[in-house]
Amino acid sequence: MLMSIDSISKSYNAFPNPPAKVLHDVTLNVDTGEAIGLVGESGSGKSTIAKCMLALIKPEEGAITYDGIDVIHARGEDLRRFRREVQMVFQDPYGSLNPRMTVEELIGEGLLIHKLEPTAAARRARVAEMMEMVGLNPNDMDRYTRSFSGGQRQRIAIARALVIRPRILVCDEPVAALDVSVQAQVINLLQDMQKKLNLAIVFVAHDLAVVRHLCEKIVVLHKGKVVEQGTREQIFDNPQMPYTQSLLAAVPVPDPVVGRARRAARRLETAN
Amino acid sequence: MTAPAIAQPAARRKEGFSAFEIFVFSLVVALLAIAIFGPLLAPDSIYSSDIANSLMPPSAANWFGTDDQGRDVFWRLIVGAQTTLLSAFLVVTLYSLIGVTLATVAAAGPRWLDEALMRVTDIGLALPGMIVALGFAAAMGASLRSAVIAMAITGWPITARMLRGIMRQTMEQPFVAGAQVLGVSKWRLMTKHVLPNSLDVLIVKWAGDIGTTVLVLASLSFIGVGAQPPSAEWGATIASARGYVSTAWWTVVAPGAAVAITSIAFGLLGDIIQVRRDPSLRGN
Repeated sequence: MLMSIDSISKSYNAFPNPPAKVLHDVTLNVDTGEAIGLVGESGSGKSTIAKCMLALIKPEEGAITYDGIDVIHARGEDLRRFRREVQMVFQDPYGSLNPRMTVEELIGEGLLIHKLEPTAAARRARVAEMMEMVGLNPNDMDRYTRSFSGGQRQRIAIARALVIRPRILVCDEPVAALDVSVQAQVINLLQDMQKKLNLAIVFVAHDLAVVRHLCEKIVVLHKGKVVEQGTREQIFDNPQMPYTQSLLAAVPVPDPVVGRARRAARRLETAN
Repeated sequence: MTAPAIAQPAARRKEGFSAFEIFVFSLVVALLAIAIFGPLLAPDSIYSSDIANSLMPPSAANWFGTDDQGRDVFWRLIVGAQTTLLSAFLVVTLYSLIGVTLATVAAAGPRWLDEALMRVTDIGLALPGMIVALGFAAAMGASLRSAVIAMAITGWPITARMLRGIMRQTMEQPFVAGAQVLGVSKWRLMTKHVLPNSLDVLIVKWAGDIGTTVLVLASLSFIGVGAQPPSAEWGATIASARGYVSTAWWTVVAPGAAVAITSIAFGLLGDIIQVRRDPSLRGN
């Protein structure tokens, strides 16, 4: 097991109201090379879990362990290794890249600060290689991100995260802000990378169709609790919990006939 | 067959500069040019007296007349421009450095340090800057250098307060969290990610501040705690000529106008940059 999250709880301060508890006793594990989907509606706590996994916030209770490192209390060399091996891609491809850095600086920053390449020339070569790997033109290295589209920016973000060869990539709704056609490209890129680099991916999403394509394992969250977890087949073909069932029922179907039938069935259900 | 004409959207027009903006820009450029190159052209006589020629009204030989020592007022203004603008730039640069440093420490540091620094800033904001500068300058011994130092150590609070707020906002941006996840040091986080994305507004403020600083420096020199005679600094020039207002107005009006024009020009430059950056302010 690469990372284990052991019954963590987290509250946000909501002064003058009492603190709002957004995670209750969440437990989940991430194994090497596996893609795991965290799904749930807005406010279900999925982004909070992602932030805890990245040590951006600390849960009040429970423990997070990554490859022998106590993530919540990590310092010094442990924290450095954690920062090198656990990376993330954000939802917003506009706000998540520093507008005053060139593509080369953005992608090369990890190499620079973790001293993974000794010289600027070697870094530049690695950046170029990485850009090709994610489908960007290395000639664009000296440009700023404002001239790139949302999909290209997300590729830059993925390259920036992956160039230091992390073992876990946490993606917080990485395609929610993209056009549908571009979404598929980015998802396919992530899947490619997962296979090539034996990367574990934690994929936070509210869109089940996307998760179904990418993730072998799925965790369903509701109001800060894990309501169900299992393999893709278990969750999609045989959901046990009513919340999971309603979540699946809400996925839009491309076939209008099927869609109409479903809506009719749901109306009947609510009428009864 | 020819394709039907498709209406092309008009290419986005690059907005030109208005006549007023061009006027202000050229004024500022002219002032800077005068300050940089003017003194090279000045005759040596501006520091030596020629009593026979004192208090002569403006003429072809002495465009702005001569002062009580018979020195050419025009050339003293030109030489004074360098002293005045250089000092003003120095003051703004120094207090900006202090302000930026304190704001960065406050924004990056722990809560208690932030609180402590902001309370000190509050005190700085509450004190009337010019009076305190006057006190400092007088205590250090009246000289232009004292005035510059005094203004530098009293000018930073607004910069520190504004920048600290802006930096806190910038730190909410996802790319800052991204840099943290990547493992950048606190120093790199602040200097490479937060600060460069927070300075825009302040650059506008600093342009405008040059104008105010010119005025305050001239005032300090005028009341005697800044530049001392025979310096050609404008405030000092007005001070030494003020006895002749009724008999030789040009000795006072010329440097007075120089102070007014310079501070207004830089003030307007600040306003113009601000409106250009934020078009919603246009029309005010």
